[in-house]
Amino acid sequence: MSAQAPLVNIRNLVKHFGSVAAVDDVSLQVGEGEFLTFLGSSGSGKTTTLFIVAGFEDPTAGDVEIDGRSVLSVKPNERNIGMVFQRYTLFPHMTVAQNVGFPLMVRRRSKAEIDKAVKEMLDLVQLGAYAGRKPSELSGGQQQRVALARALVYKPRILLMDEPLAALDKRLREDIQQEIRRIHRELGVTILYVTHDQEEALRMSDRIAVFSHGKIAQIGSGADLYERPADAFVAGFIGNSNFLQGSVVQSQQDQVAVRLDDGTVIRGNTRHPLAANARVRLMIRPERLALAPSNDQVDQSLDVTLSDTTYLGDMLQHEVVTAWQQRITVRTNDRAAASSAGNALKLHFASTDVMVFEDGNRATA
Amino acid sequence: MLLNLNRMGPGRYVLYGIGVLTALFLLLPVAFIAALSFGSSQWLQFPPPGWTLKWYAAIFNDPRWVESIWTSVKVAFTVMVLSIALGLPAAFALVRGKFPGRTLLHAFFISPMIVPVIILAIALYVFVLKFGLNGTFIAFVAAHLIVALPFSVICIVNSLEGFDESTEKAAIVCGATKAEAIFRVTLPAIRLGIFSAALFSFLASWDEVVLGIFMASPTLQTLPVRMWTTLRQDLTPVIASVSTLLIALTIVIMIITAFLRRRYAR
Ligand SMILES: Nc1ncnc2c1ncn2[C@@H]1O[C@H](COP(=O)(O)OP(=O)(O)OP(=O)(O)O)[C@@H](O)[C@H]1O
Ligand SMILES: [Mg+2]
Repeated sequence: MSAQAPLVNIRNLVKHFGSVAAVDDVSLQVGEGEFLTFLGSSGSGKTTTLFIVAGFEDPTAGDVEIDGRSVLSVKPNERNIGMVFQRYTLFPHMTVAQNVGFPLMVRRRSKAEIDKAVKEMLDLVQLGAYAGRKPSELSGGQQQRVALARALVYKPRILLMDEPLAALDKRLREDIQQEIRRIHRELGVTILYVTHDQEEALRMSDRIAVFSHGKIAQIGSGADLYERPADAFVAGFIGNSNFLQGSVVQSQQDQVAVRLDDGTVIRGNTRHPLAANARVRLMIRPERLALAPSNDQVDQSLDVTLSDTTYLGDMLQHEVVTAWQQRITVRTNDRAAASSAGNALKLHFASTDVMVFEDGNRATA
Repeated sequence: MLLNLNRMGPGRYVLYGIGVLTALFLLLPVAFIAALSFGSSQWLQFPPPGWTLKWYAAIFNDPRWVESIWTSVKVAFTVMVLSIALGLPAAFALVRGKFPGRTLLHAFFISPMIVPVIILAIALYVFVLKFGLNGTFIAFVAAHLIVALPFSVICIVNSLEGFDESTEKAAIVCGATKAEAIFRVTLPAIRLGIFSAALFSFLASWDEVVLGIFMASPTLQTLPVRMWTTLRQDLTPVIASVSTLLIALTIVIMIITAFLRRRYAR
């Protein structure tokens, strides 16, 4: 993000529906040209936040500023924001060209100008040949591309997208993700994107805001969230993860030693200072774990038993079980580590790959 | 398929037979009336001894018939317009509204379909008498509107429920005002429902007879009422030709509907 003033500034946004706090004190800034994704499970407040920015909902408290000015009193049709919805929202009685031209028609532009812009936009989404079709004659993916063209034809600076690809199958989704990224690069439009698909979020975004129960659990680049999750929730939500329980033996700045319930002591990293004896959770990514024969001398390790191995093509996934019967997932492409079920092994890992979090009340996803 | 006609052997001719008989059962009275309307016999003899158009000529030469046709058209058309004008906003409130008692209100709008017409008629008669409106155009329209409105509400509610409100929202973010979004997007998108509502409302009034009898005066009668009063005096072939005209009109309306549905079906 640039140091200059943000294009969109959301400040302490709160939205209550009756007794439900759908959005609970959300603040974030979006830079000009940025691709920011709201990622979170169902009901976490993503759509509500987006709808407040679009003007379809009024916040209970807080403010939305665009270019430094509050837009709360601006009607949704005057905010000049583009939006693509999760559901198919093309106007059924209009052709593709009329759909894309609609925003310019209500802006009373000349016919020549509309025709030219429509053609440009349809070329941009590679549907030039479909101008005369009705929405019912298009596939789901084509409909969403037309919706994208319609949302961009009036050159809004901000484009909101609420799970636009949720209804499409995986292959098609990936194609259109590529296309959205290309269009983002070509036009430099600022995009606020909503998804509950973490892969999609990681693939497309400059930054990701992880939503949980109406709050932002963490906001940062994909690498930030994956490598330096703020808490156990984010760690569990982004990527695959293994969690172990323990209590703090000793903590010094970001280094911490934790004793597991069977007495093993493991060293790891923490973002916040931890008190001695505090209950904590340790998180290790499956691909940061390695397996070794049980008689190997390794620095930091845990005795485990192999229970199952799955062949994933590019990788092997092992399920191992600790002495206290906890399952741990290991992903490796070290075929030598393969061994038969029931064998005793050593699980080893670097202390920099162990993340230690306070054992909060927040459930993992 | 379990019930495949071609695999049923000779048994299928039994099915054909039943089909043909059912069709005849439904169509014979209509065909019968149509045949009589062109028959030359004053006494509705069947088969007709000869063919003539004089009963049709009689309709158009009798100002009372022409007048009642004209009254029916005016009443039905006014009912149709009012039924949409009231049914459309009502349907929006019933589908989009968030207020307590919404389902109850929905049931209330449908209730004239369930209440026996004769009860409606008596109640209306008393009401209309009290205000000295009996025998007026307004009374006819009001009475028919009561039976037409449920059709209108049902048709429009159904199509509005099938219309995703996000589409209207999309029009608004695109820069349309709420009114523009409704007139340029929502209403065109549910036009088939509105069209059906108009059609059913028109027909509900057009062939209504019970309420009509109560609302009529000697000088103001709709066509079905006029048919009824004529029938009570004598059975003339003119009734057969009026009926045939009514049937023809219904068939024309159905053909137009089918054509429009095919054309606008998505
Ligand atoms: N119009 C409304 N009336 C009442 N409650 C609502 C309304 N809209 C949303 N909510 C509630 O607010 C919370 C957040 O909803 P929201 O739609 O923002 O979630 P979301 O993150 O978009 O979820 P999803 O991934 O399922 O789309 C939910 O508990 C939802 O039930
Ligand atoms: Mg949502």
